[in-house]
Amino acid sequence: MTPWAHIPQLAFSGITMGAIYALVGLGFVTIARASQIINFAQGEFVMLGGMITFFLLKGVGLPYPLAALLAVLLVVIIGFLVHIMVVYPLRKASVPILLIATLGASIFISNTTALVFGTLPKALPAFWGNQPLQIRGVFVTPQSLFVLGATFLLLIFLYLLSHRTVTGKAMEASSTDPLGADLSGISRNLMAFLAFGVSAGMGAIAGIFITPIFYTSYHAGTLVGLKGFIAAVLGGWGKNSGAILGGLVLGIVESLSVAFIPSGYKDAVAFVILLLILNFRPKGILGSPFIDSRRW
Amino acid sequence: MKGKNGMGALIPCLILVCLSWATPGYPAGKSPYKIGVNLELTGPWAEVAKTVKKAMVMEVERINAEGGIDGHPLELIIEDNGFDLGRVAANITKFSKNEEIILVVGPFEDNLQATSRAIAEREEITNIIICPSNPMLRALKQRWSFNIAHNDIIVSQRLVELCSARGYRKVLVFHAAHPLAQSLAEYFKRFGEEKGIRAIISKETHKPTDIDMTPQLIKLKPIIEREKVDAFYASTAGPPGPIICKNLRALGINIPILGTHAFGFGFIIELGGEAMEGVEFAAGKTVVPYQLDEDDLVRPIVIDLDKRMKARYGVGVDQVAGHANDTALLIADALKRCQGNPTRARFRDAFENTKALKGSMGIYSYGPADHDGLTKSDLVFIRIEGGKFKRIKFPGFE
Amino acid sequence: MLPLWLLSLILPDPHLDLRQEAKFRKRDLFYSGALFLLPLVWPSPHLRYVMILAGINAILALGLSLFLGYTGQISLGHAAFFGTGAYTTAILTTRYGFPPLAGFWASAAVAAALAYFVGRPILKLKGYFLALATLGFGEIFLVVVREAHVLTGGVIGIFGIPLFSLAGFSFDTYLKQYYLIWGVLVGLVLFSKNLIRSKIGRAFLAVAASEDAASTVGIEVAHIKLGAFVVGAAFAGFAGSLFAYIMSTANPEAFGLNLSVLIIMMVILGGMGNLYGPITAAIFLTWLLDILSTYQEYSMPIYALILILLLITFPDGFGTRLNIRLIYLISYWGRKKRRERVDL
Repeated sequence: MTPWAHIPQLAFSGITMGAIYALVGLGFVTIARASQIINFAQGEFVMLGGMITFFLLKGVGLPYPLAALLAVLLVVIIGFLVHIMVVYPLRKASVPILLIATLGASIFISNTTALVFGTLPKALPAFWGNQPLQIRGVFVTPQSLFVLGATFLLLIFLYLLSHRTVTGKAMEASSTDPLGADLSGISRNLMAFLAFGVSAGMGAIAGIFITPIFYTSYHAGTLVGLKGFIAAVLGGWGKNSGAILGGLVLGIVESLSVAFIPSGYKDAVAFVILLLILNFRPKGILGSPFIDSRRW
Repeated sequence: MKGKNGMGALIPCLILVCLSWATPGYPAGKSPYKIGVNLELTGPWAEVAKTVKKAMVMEVERINAEGGIDGHPLELIIEDNGFDLGRVAANITKFSKNEEIILVVGPFEDNLQATSRAIAEREEITNIIICPSNPMLRALKQRWSFNIAHNDIIVSQRLVELCSARGYRKVLVFHAAHPLAQSLAEYFKRFGEEKGIRAIISKETHKPTDIDMTPQLIKLKPIIEREKVDAFYASTAGPPGPIICKNLRALGINIPILGTHAFGFGFIIELGGEAMEGVEFAAGKTVVPYQLDEDDLVRPIVIDLDKRMKARYGVGVDQVAGHANDTALLIADALKRCQGNPTRARFRDAFENTKALKGSMGIYSYGPADHDGLTKSDLVFIRIEGGKFKRIKFPGFE
Repeated sequence: MLPLWLLSLILPDPHLDLRQEAKFRKRDLFYSGALFLLPLVWPSPHLRYVMILAGINAILALGLSLFLGYTGQISLGHAAFFGTGAYTTAILTTRYGFPPLAGFWASAAVAAALAYFVGRPILKLKGYFLALATLGFGEIFLVVVREAHVLTGGVIGIFGIPLFSLAGFSFDTYLKQYYLIWGVLVGLVLFSKNLIRSKIGRAFLAVAASEDAASTVGIEVAHIKLGAFVVGAAFAGFAGSLFAYIMSTANPEAFGLNLSVLIIMMVILGGMGNLYGPITAAIFLTWLLDILSTYQEYSMPIYALILILLLITFPDGFGTRLNIRLIYLISYWGRKKRRERVDL
């Protein structure tokens, strides 16, 4: 059985997953650009988006769009809380401490989710319909198209945010030139705070869009978060376009690899790619504005 | 210098003090018979373990309300092992070193039972495991371990009967990567071949904690089409079961799906949604309480259990609750036969001599050669229709 | 059940002077004695078992503190070396009939070799990227162990690892295993102290203080970092081997990211750059986890919450602030008294 016959179907599901990695990667980049912090709890925002929507939809009985909107708002608040309770108190601490603190936040969120919502995987109803469309032999669910659309829109949103609004420009400034930002009266802590909110919101939206396709579960956030970070590094650390490109590449390569190696190794593929990139081209595919600085 | 941190070292110590002293007490009376319970209350099997806990607690309370065992109440000492081998071992060790604990129930999961059984054998304390045994462990002939659930042999035999009744000649088997699922697949193949059914065991497997099996199924799809397979057997337990069904349908694969007895857990239908329509499997009688035969000896027990579970917890009985309830029943019955002197050795012997005890899942009989308790006739055929479990019968296969 | 936090208070506060700590002090004898007497004075099997687990964690923390503590770099994949040690022992003793002691040394050797090959390319990275790379390595390790079931038994793992025995003397009771593990720890502590006092140890301290300054005096920073990494991995290999003998099974689920995070927490809470702190923290955290299991469903969220709170309160480790604070208080009070006398 030639592996090549699977390629179109695998490639398509790879693009779908890749869009999610891209969104998660964007979340990492947004926070890192505003505050030089890597937020390891990023993946949890994605998971929470799907989980809370499920709860509001099935448990409380709200209509789907309202549940989704409310969930995004709640996750944004949770993002703010993570900043206030974990990152802000440790803002002067060293890299290892911050890293473990955000990891600790990630563990706390995923385990509390298990406690509150149970450990069973949850799925949301598809936005449009369950029947997969067939395009030239490949089974495409309408939901995947929604995912791609949402990614595109969020990218535009981020672009407008950072280039057309004052707040967004302030966030940009506090990362490219911290001293200058301080002198201009931009509060870097406030920028970091806002960045957490924006990333949390984007992650939540990603989660809501992807949960109808892939189940979500309390432990799903950690892995998605890691792969999103890998995607951001792969594409070019620090650039929005890098995160998008990295996400898509990672998603496709990971998915296609299944055709050639036993499927159990699939999760390792992302990490192997990571090690290769860090070894041979740490700047990533598109290059990175950050790599030369001491912090990294 | 900030002032507050000088006292800071006391905070973690205070935390430890509070935590270690905050355990609930028990009312006094005739000395209770203590039962250690070692469950995965956190981790991937938390939902199922919680159902076990709820059902056992309910049954123990009922037994105590009726006077306990000759006036001795039963007391459950429950500890979480977090699905971690180290803690499983620590908990059962803790229990076995506590002189008052007569036996240990748990862990629930197949991956963890080997460690617990080995320690139980060494410490000479009865270990009752809820999940089925597997060939590797049965070969060890451990005297102190007993299993509650239907074992892989009878489940596979029953499933082969289902296939024969349906006329399936070729079945593709996709199993999870743990001993029970593997042995279910292998027994199915062996018994199937005796009846002229060809089973293809796929090289692809999945982990019990996977939430998406699409990549593996994409690779299996061409095999299904080429071999013109009649049915797909998802040999797995827990959430992967319904997820596989959903993934299959999303890929446009519409052949009938067969499941293991673990498809009788309460959350299965809700998790899989529409994809579960038409899935068939053999499971315990508690899955379909109101559809059992009128003359079935355990029918009244099952219905009663269902009513009580609904009254207390708001959900009806399912496979897991049935097992847990029966565990408590079996323990109480064995304790009664110890006649006031329940040492660990006497309890073990009494338990091993359980004969024809009616539980909700069936009629249990243990013996020196059989530590599994149930037989083939304690399984019924079930099909999911209209979002509900429906019992089906085939003439000649009762 | 008397709370064991008392013990962790008695054990030493981390010193600020790294070189001073490396000397052999009376305090070392005192603590060795206390550890020796503990299971005899308090003959509870439960205590012995938890202290066994604590001892294994202490070896892990000690090893990691040589890397993390002195170079300030995070390795999120340390559990993989632990697992390597455990599986090496498991495979060699169950399949090839190696005697336990040989398995013990082999485990450390294999873990160290793995660390060497992985460390050479990875340690060029710093900060978050190093953390990410080590995490990647840890995850790859897990996936390989789960998939290569011919070698490792896959998800099921390996069973029936024999007990550790030395020339016919088998460590089969908890008491004997307790002494075995803490004996190994004492040996490793002695080794570490010697290491710190040696030329290599001084190079460690130099690199910890400032990498650039160290390289200007001719220290090969990359070699030092690799050396610390490898030594840490070797310790983890020892710990893994002992773990395999105690549990008599090896299973991939025990060697994941959660364990790596736990070990790092022990090093951070113990105070970076000292030897006894991580050991104390290891005892504390192991007991914490054990006490938490009575909380059933709530155990993990409480654990994570406590971790975060501890990190916020003690980013420099348990004893450091207590030490400084106490000294400051005493000296302030003393100065105040002296000033009052002068004013009269």
